[in-house]
Amino acid sequence: MPLEILAEPANPSTLALVGRLDSSTAPELDAVLDRVLKNAPLPRLVFDLSRLEYLSSAGIRCFIRARKAIEPGGGRVAIVNPQPAVRKVLDIVKAIPAGGIFKNVAELDAYLDDIQKQMRERD
Amino acid sequence: MLFWILAATMPIYAGALYMSYQATAQRLEDDAERDADELAARLAAGMDAVIRPIEGGIRTVASQLEEIDPPREQYPARIRGILAAWPDVYGSTIAVEVARESASAQPYAPYYFRRAGAIEYSDLASASYAYRTLPWYRRAADTRRPIWSLPYFDSGGGDAWMVTYSVPFFRRLADRERVIAGVVTADLALDWVKRAAADVPLGSGSMGWLVSPPAASFFLTPIGPTARRLPSFDPSLDANEIRVIGEQMLARGETFRLLPEGLAAQPAYLAARSLETLDWRVLLIIPQSELLAAARALLRRQLWLGAAGLVLLIAAISFVAAAISRPVHALAEAVGTAAEDQLEFALPDLPRRDEVGVLTAALRRMRDSLRKHIELRAANLVAQARLDHELQIAASIQQAMLPKAGSRSLPAGVRIAATLLPAKQVGGDAYDYFAVDDAHLLFAIADVSDKGIPAALFMARLAGLLGALATSGKSPDRILHEINARLVEDNDACMFITIGCGLLNVGSGHIRYASAGHEPPLLRTADGVVAPLTVENGAAIGIDGSSEYSVTDMVLAPGDTLLLFTDGVTEAWTPDGAQFGIDRLTTLLSEATDGSPDVLLRHVVDTVAASARATDDLTVLALSWSPRGVTWHRTEQAMHWLMEPAISTVGVAQAQQWLRSTLAARAVAADRVSDAELIAEELLTNVVRSLEARGGAARMSLDCELTRTQIVMTVRDDGPPFDPLALAAPNLAAGIDDRAIGGLGVAIVRQLADSCHYSRVQGHNVMEVRLHRTPV
Repeated sequence: MPLEILAEPANPSTLALVGRLDSSTAPELDAVLDRVLKNAPLPRLVFDLSRLEYLSSAGIRCFIRARKAIEPGGGRVAIVNPQPAVRKVLDIVKAIPAGGIFKNVAELDAYLDDIQKQMRERD
Repeated sequence: MLFWILAATMPIYAGALYMSYQATAQRLEDDAERDADELAARLAAGMDAVIRPIEGGIRTVASQLEEIDPPREQYPARIRGILAAWPDVYGSTIAVEVARESASAQPYAPYYFRRAGAIEYSDLASASYAYRTLPWYRRAADTRRPIWSLPYFDSGGGDAWMVTYSVPFFRRLADRERVIAGVVTADLALDWVKRAAADVPLGSGSMGWLVSPPAASFFLTPIGPTARRLPSFDPSLDANEIRVIGEQMLARGETFRLLPEGLAAQPAYLAARSLETLDWRVLLIIPQSELLAAARALLRRQLWLGAAGLVLLIAAISFVAAAISRPVHALAEAVGTAAEDQLEFALPDLPRRDEVGVLTAALRRMRDSLRKHIELRAANLVAQARLDHELQIAASIQQAMLPKAGSRSLPAGVRIAATLLPAKQVGGDAYDYFAVDDAHLLFAIADVSDKGIPAALFMARLAGLLGALATSGKSPDRILHEINARLVEDNDACMFITIGCGLLNVGSGHIRYASAGHEPPLLRTADGVVAPLTVENGAAIGIDGSSEYSVTDMVLAPGDTLLLFTDGVTEAWTPDGAQFGIDRLTTLLSEATDGSPDVLLRHVVDTVAASARATDDLTVLALSWSPRGVTWHRTEQAMHWLMEPAISTVGVAQAQQWLRSTLAARAVAADRVSDAELIAEELLTNVVRSLEARGGAARMSLDCELTRTQIVMTVRDDGPPFDPLALAAPNLAAGIDDRAIGGLGVAIVRQLADSCHYSRVQGHNVMEVRLHRTPV
């Protein structure tokens, strides 16, 4: 099963990845990221991995590339709901800090609200 | 027939003839003997008849002399009277007794006898003759009874041999005493006796003698033609011996007997009789041949009559038998000319009322009805031939419905072999396969519930529907559902079909399989393990329009073969009376050294055909997934799949797919499959990058070795020496800005594998990674 990359028009900074992200499909994600990252600085980029079945280092490179593109501008890359096999790979290479991986969208939203609150307080 | 009738009747006839002959012969013999005995008696009686009147006459004279007691002077007249009365008497006398010496009592015996035709006188009372001392006188006087003398030579007057009949006469005295007064005699000359005997007629062939009583001198005179016959009978025959035997017989009271052997030259009977008058005997010899001649002649006549009767009997039997057997024979010949299927034989026109006539009529009826039957059969044969021809066409049409080997383009990576051997000319089995697209192959096997034309027609409907639906891209369960919905309509014949239908993804080895009551296929893995597929079976097609079918998913490893079959295989009958059976089929498949479909198919069909008698259509379809770029072999410990993908990310993805399918097909847990795949991808991707950079001809391979406990993956390439494990581990803790993008793959590999080992072997980089089939 190849890779599908789904983005809601209302929320283009959230990409849902369906299928397999490996060396043969990573170029597809790279192409999408090229488009998305053009809009930098992005406050955040969320990868919804709830339907991603397989992840290899080629896919992880995409995530790292996204981080390198966004984080210098203060943006954040978050991973939502990775399946165990995928989570295992993520954990091995620590491509995303533990704080950037969320169990679900609600947890992410709560985290983001918390960040905004902190930022407001800081301001 | 004639022979048997004769064989049965002839012995009976001959036996009867023989017994009749025996009885007749015995009776004739007895009759002949009695005749011979009677002949002797008759001869004796004949002689007696001549002599007895003389006796009577003399006794009359004697009684007259006693009663009248005439004076002596009258004696000569009386004597002459005797001679006159009986010409056969030769001489006669009345000799008186001299009681006392007195004058009146002078001896007196005047004797008159014949000589030369005249009567002459002689006085016997001369002193020299002394008649009272002679036997002819003395014996009569002493015995006081009439008596015949023995032959003697008389010198008293006749000077001849004679016999004398002497009768005493008496004188009654005052004291009433009867005293002898004299003796009256009649002499018979022996010459006369001889003549008398010679005159007696004898039966033809007989010989006889008249014999005087035994004494110092005796006479033996032949009777009739005896002297003439004797030389031809036995010239050396001693009549005296015969006489002795005759005397002995008479002494014993016998009258007839067979002459003792050796006495005569030929067997003969001797008959003996005493005369009542003269005390002589009649002896008669009758040759046996003579005696039995008449009997033999009679028997001969009887035999001739018997033989003639036999001939007539044979002729009669032959005639009667021929009257029956000839027409029967003619009938048999007429029937014999009838060849097979050719009953144009002519029957003789026999207007007979007997059994032969009945038989002829019966044969005629039989011939006519057989002829009708043959005509009918010929017509049926024509119809049958036409039907056979049509069946042949139907069979070829049906065979044409089946895909022929190589006739359909198959997607790369699949091998398929199938065959159908119909039990009749047309059958109810079917198989088919279609390339749905480049990546998918639909295959099906079916068995209609019956055989023959109805099954074939139903199967044709199925084939049409299957062909239309196969390339629709629908999954097998949907295809079965739709075929069922269509075939249930108007299925008044209540036929049904079992179908197994599968869709093979030739890229991944995945099969989606649906079954409508069909026997589950057998899976033979590349390493020779055979097991039936666990299939969720639905209802057979054609029974219930609402039937639903479910899909069973499975994966083939490269080299695995799936075998679909109909019950013609498992229900073929072996010579020992058992069905071929699923167990035998399983064993057959597992023992095959080559698992490729065409080899397996040939093996199954040949074995079933050789060891069992197919009673149903026999259909087998074998299919295997054999992607190009994958080879496999088996070692003692493990199964190896050698994957040689193109050196590109596409090639890597393909190798991943092969590996994934192989491990899934061998029931490796999904997360372990994932781990292995990840390792393979990382290692192969590294190789691709390095070889792409170098350019030029290059090869890489992934050997997947599967043991009972381990998955051993070995990646080889012929690029420049490169040991990924020698690279420094990436600083995973570094900030994102400082992190290198490379090196992650090796980190993953190190992390997942139980062991990693690099070596450089004969110009190749060899990376060996081991992991347990189940995580430790």
